[in-house]
Amino acid sequence: MKTFEEKWTAWLDGKLSGRELSEFETSLPDKATAEAEKADARKLGVLLRRELGVSALTNEEFFSHQLRERIRESSVLSGKRDAKPSTWWTIPRLLWTGTASLAVFLVLTVFVMRDKNPAEESQYLTQILNARVDPVISPNATVSMFEVKQDRVTVLWTEGLQSLPADYAAK
Amino acid sequence: MGCSLAFLIPFVSLIAVAASGSEGAETVWSGLVIAENVAQPQSVPPELTRIEGSLKKFFGYNQFQVIGQSQKTLKTGQEDWLATSKFFGLHVDARGESAAGYVLNLQLYKEKELLLETDAKLSKRSPLVIKGPQVGSGQLLLVLVIQ
Repeated sequence: MKTFEEKWTAWLDGKLSGRELSEFETSLPDKATAEAEKADARKLGVLLRRELGVSALTNEEFFSHQLRERIRESSVLSGKRDAKPSTWWTIPRLLWTGTASLAVFLVLTVFVMRDKNPAEESQYLTQILNARVDPVISPNATVSMFEVKQDRVTVLWTEGLQSLPADYAAK
Repeated sequence: MGCSLAFLIPFVSLIAVAASGSEGAETVWSGLVIAENVAQPQSVPPELTRIEGSLKKFFGYNQFQVIGQSQKTLKTGQEDWLATSKFFGLHVDARGESAAGYVLNLQLYKEKELLLETDAKLSKRSPLVIKGPQVGSGQLLLVLVIQ
């Protein structure tokens, strides 16, 4: 058994027919007012369908829509890929690590070598390994040697060599 | 770009280190010098400028004249050469190179007489001075410097 509201809605939508229609219209207290309401409701329906209804896409719009959809899907996929946990020791990172290690090694080597030099400075002075004079020509000759670290000069000092006349200073 | 830089940095570093480590051929100046005290001393030869103060201090002379000299560029460290004056000759025989310098055998001749012989390790940064015989009022000095 339909209520009055159900029958009213069906009547507005034009879904009553036959005996049910005639009984409902007879039961209406003011049929003219009801007809006016029905006409208003139809107008409203048409208006709503026209303004809110899904309009058909033109070719260009459809293509743009498809394109946007593709872009959206691919960006979602790449986002998922980026979200995967990455391995830290990738080849470029290994390369950079090796480079940095080599640079540090070279810098340390240079510093160590520089620090080492002052301690070994004495070996960079000229050293006299041995010296001898002809005992026949200069029987009383002696040799001695010394290093002057301040001037970085090494001197082999001889005494008692045979003296020679000034002529021997000729070029 | 990043990978190229990563290759470039060690390459340049290695070249720089190699360049700093390697040294070219060096020239040894050998001179026979007469040191004297004179009223108006002549200026010191350019080869001796570096050790002028030391020479004056050690030997007490005010003039140093080169009577014979030789400049030898060492490539293998095994070369030999002669610096001569009219009466003296200094034979230098290089017998190898080390990090510190060259091992040299030196022989001082007066004409054909061997007056003095010595072996020395000549440093690249340290000159060698040998006091020779008295000559007139002066003194013969032998000087070796790596230039």
